[in-house]
Amino acid sequence: MRKLLFVLGCAVVVLAGQASAADYKIMAPASPGGGWDQTARAMQTVLQDEKISSNVQVYNVPGAGGTIGLAQFVNNAKGDPSQLIVGGYVMVGAILTNNSPVTLEQVTPIARLTGEYEVVVVPANSDIKDMAGLVEKLKADPGAVSWAGGSAGGVDHITVGLIAKAVGVDPTKINYIAYSGGGEALAAILGGQVTAGISGYGEFESQIKAGSLRIIGVSSDAPIEGIDTATFKDSGVDVVIQNWRMVAAAPGISDEQKAAILADMEKMAKSDAWKKVLADKGWADTFLSGDAFSAELKKDIDSTSVVLKDIGLVK
Amino acid sequence: MDTFALLGHGFLVAFELQNLFYALIGVTLGTAVGVLPGIGPALTVALLLPVTYKLDPAGSLIMFSGIYYGGMYGGSTTSILLNTPGESASIVTALEGNKMARKGRGGPALATAAIGSFVAGLIATMGLALIAPTIVKFALSFGPAEYFALMVLAFMTVSAAFGDSTLRGLTALFIGLALGLIGIDLQTGQARLAFGIPDLLDGIEVTTLAVALFAIGETLSVAAARNSSEDKVEPVKGSVWMSREDWARSWKPWLRGTFIGFPIGAMPAGGAEIGTFLSYSVEKQLTKKPEEFGNGAIEGVAGPEAANNASAAGTLVPLLTLGLPTTATAAIMLAGFQQFGLQPGPLLFATSPQLVWGLIASLLVANLMLLVLNLPLIGLWVRLLSVPKPWLYAGILVFATLGTIGANPSTFELGILLAFGLMGYILRRFGYPIAPVVVGLILGPLAEQQLRRAMAINQGDPMALVSSPIAVVLLLLALAAVVVPLVLRARGKGKVLAQLAADED
Amino acid sequence: MNVEPVPEEPQRKERRPDGAAFVIAAVLAIIAVVIAWSTATGGNSASYSRIGPNAFPYAIAGVLLVLSIWTAVEAWRGEFPEREAENVGPIIWIVAGLAGQMLLLKTTGFSIATGVLFALTARGFGRGPLWMTVPLGIVISLVIWVVFSKGLQLSLPAGPLENLF
Repeated sequence: MRKLLFVLGCAVVVLAGQASAADYKIMAPASPGGGWDQTARAMQTVLQDEKISSNVQVYNVPGAGGTIGLAQFVNNAKGDPSQLIVGGYVMVGAILTNNSPVTLEQVTPIARLTGEYEVVVVPANSDIKDMAGLVEKLKADPGAVSWAGGSAGGVDHITVGLIAKAVGVDPTKINYIAYSGGGEALAAILGGQVTAGISGYGEFESQIKAGSLRIIGVSSDAPIEGIDTATFKDSGVDVVIQNWRMVAAAPGISDEQKAAILADMEKMAKSDAWKKVLADKGWADTFLSGDAFSAELKKDIDSTSVVLKDIGLVK
Repeated sequence: MDTFALLGHGFLVAFELQNLFYALIGVTLGTAVGVLPGIGPALTVALLLPVTYKLDPAGSLIMFSGIYYGGMYGGSTTSILLNTPGESASIVTALEGNKMARKGRGGPALATAAIGSFVAGLIATMGLALIAPTIVKFALSFGPAEYFALMVLAFMTVSAAFGDSTLRGLTALFIGLALGLIGIDLQTGQARLAFGIPDLLDGIEVTTLAVALFAIGETLSVAAARNSSEDKVEPVKGSVWMSREDWARSWKPWLRGTFIGFPIGAMPAGGAEIGTFLSYSVEKQLTKKPEEFGNGAIEGVAGPEAANNASAAGTLVPLLTLGLPTTATAAIMLAGFQQFGLQPGPLLFATSPQLVWGLIASLLVANLMLLVLNLPLIGLWVRLLSVPKPWLYAGILVFATLGTIGANPSTFELGILLAFGLMGYILRRFGYPIAPVVVGLILGPLAEQQLRRAMAINQGDPMALVSSPIAVVLLLLALAAVVVPLVLRARGKGKVLAQLAADED
Repeated sequence: MNVEPVPEEPQRKERRPDGAAFVIAAVLAIIAVVIAWSTATGGNSASYSRIGPNAFPYAIAGVLLVLSIWTAVEAWRGEFPEREAENVGPIIWIVAGLAGQMLLLKTTGFSIATGVLFALTARGFGRGPLWMTVPLGIVISLVIWVVFSKGLQLSLPAGPLENLF
């Protein structure tokens, strides 16, 4: 009898252990406060509030565009279905420019969560009125068009490279001025120190609304409600790019485990709480999961490695 | 002009008994956490921000302001008493302040820092309220060329912290510059001096270096000193309070520090520490007692502390009017503002004036509370020095590493902390000044990036560096900072030379 | 200790060459060479600025080399400030404490690792015995961990002790 109780007890413990398999540990491969960290913490709140998971922990491993965290994740989380990592398009570029020993192919992509489109702005008093005007100047003398954006090899720089390539200008000839953090670049554009600025829409939003910056193009596929400008494509520059954020799972998990995580993430993304988080933070819902996301990711990695070579950042 | 009406209303709210109480709690918490060695204002604000969430908007804004000022003042306290600055802007304070504390004059040093911070905070916050839009225009006219000139001027002023030997001062500076090279080059994305180690790609963290060189280096040297019994630090000698002479020597530096710190803080790429360097070097030039500099001159505490606080108020100018966070602390404040529904940007003053003026009134009230709380406590803080050394320094190391672990809990970062701590000890042992190392690490990358930006925008034309009047004026000032002392030395063969020679070893 | 200018020190011209200062000169030279070598093998990218990513490293390496020679000259003349003899023991204790914390942090959590640092530092200042100070340090660190980790949401590594909370 006692033995039976013992066995039962063990079974309960084991079952309890399995029940809590939906616990997640999410790595934000960046410092607290940044975009990836905010995404991870928003996931934590929604997953717990919606009772999708009983216990979610977030931890930060900052450094080198997320590649330090990625390397640690690939090595430590292998085969563990409770481990997740947040990442984004910036990682794609950082892996290439930093010669990272691990790549995104080594993790199990789950879903794209949010995204932001790149916009090009000029100071309000600039003689450039639209994308065509900027392209004209770029073609005439690429060196005379200075672009302010984030760090070299980041999504801003890649977008400029793609624009140059699309209009037939040598991407190695672009005059890209890198600033640390959007704020410093914004000051340079407002002060008329550079010809144009490029960054995510959120960075420039209040200045555009106040009329001190003129927006001349956005990198989305189709015009976006609330952003009063033509897409690059409609202005004859065939560039579509999205600075997305994603969640991925550990390498070496089984298909069932992957499906379970995917189901949890879809439940999260469909919840009202997640919709509210996106609205509050001004993040666009570009949810894409499963094979469609994997294919999109592959495409992004390929096009990025080409353009980074074109700009001359990757040998 | 309803500016004053709005400010008046802000004050009415801030002076409600309940809000005064929140301000007091905020200042107390901020000071308590900020005073821990290795934990600067940025981390203090980040840690305590959630505490404010539970209050109503007015109350939380006021408590937040209190935490901010408390954190800043707490950082200065440990710099002065223990020579362990938790962030770059209090490094200069430690130079003279700690010398004063070692001579039993910690009381006056803390007092002049507190009152100087108050005066600077008061003037600068008023400046923020009244001339923010004008200041912003001036700040935006600074392009890379002007910033480069400003950095050159700042470099010239570092020499004020060189101590008694030009060779050792320069060496310390260039060690800092060399450390500043480590990591990914912003303009080209190329890794420099990283030796294939991914942890080095983001460069050396300024706070890690400062904490290692000051807190750990200091601990090692104190522990290794053989005649430690003779070297006993006297907590108090003479009055804890400032004497008449202290007042006379302090008030001008407070004002000068304020006027140097505020505009520099307002520049999108200025940074609080540059104002403190400039203020220190100005005070060193103007003092009537140059022999006291390097041995505990009160001007060297009063000026930089005022500059530090004024530039902190200055950073609010681009933060509120443009939404530009220019320092780590400002970035965390931005997150805080957003919690209160304050969307910094060009429309802020137009769309939510009550919040802006409420914030400004809160800052002024918090500033006052800081003084109210801390002046009576100075006597207590000074007693920190009478804690037996083993416990005091063991505690310093615990908190110094806590700051680093909290920011980035990686074994590598702690390894860096240990390595630079040993370097700090060796530098001290051989008479190298510490501050220039940190200054080099901060200013080197800034100067390099601005120079290369200026050249790139003008497609490689070096004349671009001297094409604006502001840049020319700044460069001429930098030149004067080098040439004038040389000329003075050559001319004044009499007393001045003798004095300088005595100073110069 | 902070070395202050010592006015009463007599200006003896005939000082012995300073061996340790020669070591510093050599270290500076090595740093200069490493910077130059690493820069030379790192590649260069052309840009509109004409000042590429390699200009500053070369300039700094050059100046460090000059400073190294200057240091050697002062070392030869014995112009470095005289140093009082110091104890090595305390330094070893404290460095061991820091290294111990660094190595233990991931496995034993914040409190135990930091408790070791606390005790070894106190030992460096001559306060012991370790069997008393180590537990004391762990208790203090655990209190700090609770305040900062639970109260203020700072993410500090947890170990067996912390998991009890």
